[in-house]
Amino acid sequence: MLPSVASLVTAVESHEPRAVEALFAALYKDLRRVANRELGRLGQGATISPTTVLHEAYLDMAARDGVAFPDRPRFLRYASRVMRGLIIDHARSRHALKRGGGIEITALDNDLHGAEIDSREAERLAAIGVALDRLGESDPALAEVVDLKFFCGFSFVEIAEAQGIAERTVQRRWEKARLFLHHTLGAAALE
Amino acid sequence: MVAELGDGWWAVASPLLDEVLELAEPERTRWLAALRERDPGTADLVESLLAEQRAIDAEGFLESRLPLLPAPQALEEPIAGQVVGAYTLVAPLGQGGMGVVWLASRNDGRFERHAAVKLLHAARVGRGAEERFKREGAVLARLTHPHIAGLVDAGVTAGGQPYLILEHVRGEPIDRFADASQLDLAARLALFLDVLAAVAHAHANLIVHRDIKPSNVLVREDGEVKLLDFGIAKLLDESSEGGAASHLTRDWGGAMTPAYAAPEQLVDQPVTTVTDVYALGVLLYVLLTGRHPIHEVAATPAEVLRAALEVEFPPPSAVVIAGGSDAATAVDAASRRGTTPSKLTRALRGDLDTIVAKALKKDPGERYGSVAAFADDLRHYLANEPITARADTFAYRAAKLVRRNPVAVALATLAVLTTLGGALGTAVQARRVRVQRDFALRQLWRAEAINDLDVFLLSDAAPSGKPFTVSELLADAERIAERQHGDDTVGHVELLLSIGDQYLTLDEDAKARRLLERAHASARAVHEPSTRARAACALAGALARAGEHDRAEALIAEGLAELPEEVTFVLDRVSCLRNASAVAEHRNAVQQAIERTQTAQRVLASAPLRSELVELRLYMDLAEHFRGAGRHREACVAFEQASRRLEALGRDETQTAGTLYNNWGMALFGLGHPLEAEPILRRAIELSSSDANEESVSPMLLLNYGWVLRDLARAHEGLRYAERAKAGARRAGDRVVIHQALIVKATSHNELNQPDQAEAALAELEPILAREVSENHPGHAAIRLERSYVAEARGNLEEARTQIDAALAMMDASVAAGGAGTEFIPTLLVRRADLAIERGRPGDAVADARRAVDAITAAIGPDGFSRGLGSAYLTLARALDAQGDRDAAHSAARVATTQLEKALGGDHPKTRAARKLLDRSA
Repeated sequence: MLPSVASLVTAVESHEPRAVEALFAALYKDLRRVANRELGRLGQGATISPTTVLHEAYLDMAARDGVAFPDRPRFLRYASRVMRGLIIDHARSRHALKRGGGIEITALDNDLHGAEIDSREAERLAAIGVALDRLGESDPALAEVVDLKFFCGFSFVEIAEAQGIAERTVQRRWEKARLFLHHTLGAAALE
Repeated sequence: MVAELGDGWWAVASPLLDEVLELAEPERTRWLAALRERDPGTADLVESLLAEQRAIDAEGFLESRLPLLPAPQALEEPIAGQVVGAYTLVAPLGQGGMGVVWLASRNDGRFERHAAVKLLHAARVGRGAEERFKREGAVLARLTHPHIAGLVDAGVTAGGQPYLILEHVRGEPIDRFADASQLDLAARLALFLDVLAAVAHAHANLIVHRDIKPSNVLVREDGEVKLLDFGIAKLLDESSEGGAASHLTRDWGGAMTPAYAAPEQLVDQPVTTVTDVYALGVLLYVLLTGRHPIHEVAATPAEVLRAALEVEFPPPSAVVIAGGSDAATAVDAASRRGTTPSKLTRALRGDLDTIVAKALKKDPGERYGSVAAFADDLRHYLANEPITARADTFAYRAAKLVRRNPVAVALATLAVLTTLGGALGTAVQARRVRVQRDFALRQLWRAEAINDLDVFLLSDAAPSGKPFTVSELLADAERIAERQHGDDTVGHVELLLSIGDQYLTLDEDAKARRLLERAHASARAVHEPSTRARAACALAGALARAGEHDRAEALIAEGLAELPEEVTFVLDRVSCLRNASAVAEHRNAVQQAIERTQTAQRVLASAPLRSELVELRLYMDLAEHFRGAGRHREACVAFEQASRRLEALGRDETQTAGTLYNNWGMALFGLGHPLEAEPILRRAIELSSSDANEESVSPMLLLNYGWVLRDLARAHEGLRYAERAKAGARRAGDRVVIHQALIVKATSHNELNQPDQAEAALAELEPILAREVSENHPGHAAIRLERSYVAEARGNLEEARTQIDAALAMMDASVAAGGAGTEFIPTLLVRRADLAIERGRPGDAVADARRAVDAITAAIGPDGFSRGLGSAYLTLARALDAQGDRDAAHSAARVATTQLEKALGGDHPKTRAARKLLDRSA
């Protein structure tokens, strides 16, 4: 039997080697499964919110792993990082789909335009992801705010509640993180 | 600054940013100056970062929602335990038109507090309105008063769910509380004065309630009054897209009932603090008498609206006994006020009647100027002092009746609105501003019910979070219409008519017909002439499409006969005449269709009000009829009139505008004015491609544009549009456009001197035409014409001539048999003349060119100009020149130059050729 997410979190927090990769792999699998389940439930063409996916995944794991499961703030700390990866991958695959799916390769401006936007958006998200990883190395709390707000769609109030800190602190972290990302992405564009 | 490659800068900047970001602007400058003294390099870094931060705010970096996040309507049903803002939902409290209300608790570890959370229909809060919604919510949240239930928070969840968090009040509506507690008049007035104090406080903060009614005025068990939902009507109104739409939807949900709405709210006039005075007047009326003033004078929804706008309410003292048919009710109402009916009547008569009347004036300017003044008069009454309000004397009333504008017209009925619980029938005064006028007319105008229906469908019939088609929505609307069928037959019929119309626009004729037949059958049971008439005429329109001309005409006659010859029914008559015109069109009686539309225009002109919207529709109808009849010039005049109305309306009518510009452009093209057609068609393309709902521009439109471009010697571009049109037509299975696209391709390639590609397009087209159209169809002649260019480019002038002779023979035969081709013959003649010049036979060329000139001049009149006429004169000039007749060539070249400059522009190769010939022959 696979180790539970709860036990992986414990392992990560006691700095066991390779536990981070294992935890992220497990969370990625769970989040993607939940996302697919929700999309299947809503039908074709629907989109779902990352918050919903996180909520559902949390409930799933709590039911599965029982009382040993980590609290919600800790869950979000890891899951929001994983959600970022999931979203970037999704953007890339959607772009690939539009470009390569090619039953109708037409001169319609709309299609080309849409694919182009998707391509640029996927690239932009990936670049943000790389920069966030760099930020996370020195300031994990700042990176986490970006994951929760930008990638997962939580509000300042919700983040403050989840982390047990003042809303003002969340905002300050957000401002600083945005500055780091903007600066880093700008520098990357100059390179 | 130069960006560093590593993150070393961040290690330096991060702690400094923590410091400086906490400072206000002037302090930052000092802080930076101090830093600069110590460490100029670092100061530069921080300064540039602060500048960058301002740029980040300005561009909203990372603030936009990710495109992967859901559309706001993809919401799930709220469930207990769901977190909304800082609250957790506990249990549902109720459901209304605006959304659902939940009891929620805040558990922040220190204490537990309850609140009511309103989860609003997402459609109610417009796109991109989140920030504004939160900002406005914050303003309302600052409104604190002991008698006002506070707004704690407003926002939109990450999932897109708009919400309001309100102070939770347990209590009873004020009228029920007063009756249950058997409060006497003085106690009721005391309670009411508390309400006035709360409203006055809000007004002092520039917040208008806009929706005061008993269910928003609760009394708690301890007897304290609490007003709910302050300013929320406005919050929703401005968040949603389009104020009128929100009126409808609010009415549908019963959130704003016309019974408490002031006249200005019903006709979309500005809402002010005095609007609340009116609603408070209604509330006081109800508290004093137990009766609602409007129900004393109106029964049906339509009457309710009319009464709210026009009818003077009976004074409170008059309804205690006389108002109820049933004496027991009167006794009961009086006993709940601790008195008898006759004593209650006497108590109300006089000052209270006068005070209530002043609060309930139709004209906002005649009401109490403030809630405070209203309260003062009530206090004077309670203290037995003279009140300020004056009772209306007979002379005053008589004078007012005369002053009230003589042209005030009651415009009857209509609209989904009727069914949605609102209803109308309204007096519109000529002095009112255009916006208001158009609002009123819009309610009444049949075609516009479609917009209302859309709003209704999207807000109420749309399944949440699922993709849906319009057709599915209409099916839902149908089911709702069935449920709605109660005692409101008029409303039921109106909804059926709206849905039927929608099906017609979707070309789902069978479904449309089924609904319209039902509407017509149901309409027989009602007395409302306009409903009966429109049901008959709408069905006629659907039948005409199915080719049942006789029954359609009979229904039109039936519908028109229903309508009395009164100005009240002008718009219904216009609506019926539009259907009549469509019926005639389907019978191919074009002249009759034109006449019916012109009759509709005259009828409309007899109305005391102008409506650009209705005029627009009629001009568009007329233009289409003219265009169909080949009367392009008259069509263009009508199109221009229509486009003026469209501009005057300033409405975003993408669909209508796209159609208008396309058809106008093609009428101009038909007149031989491609230079004028080009910008108009371009506008049509811009309009339809900017509409997010359009998947792509219509292939037909793209093709039309390509054709015009080719005529303007922009064959490369024309070719591109023809290709796009063909691809689009393939997907849509539109064969006509595919055929025409091939012709445009061939002619463009010929223009570019690419005979092989032109021949390829023709070879593709030829077998299709052979299969699908008759032998003498102009399409075959068009192929021959293009083949003559192909042959010429390949150096085979004899073959070119053979092709053109064959084309002319076909068209002559077609015209002789009464078929199409008259307009095409001059083009062929000019072509044959050109070839004759090439072949050294100027005499033949002159003869053909003259024939062409005569035919075109006969068609367009002596003052007209066209590309065709210019080309014919150019060929004539060249032929005469080749004959050596310098003078005749000169005058022909002059006409050619003038014509071509106007039709194709000064830079067109043909115009330049004509001008060159003119200069040479001078």
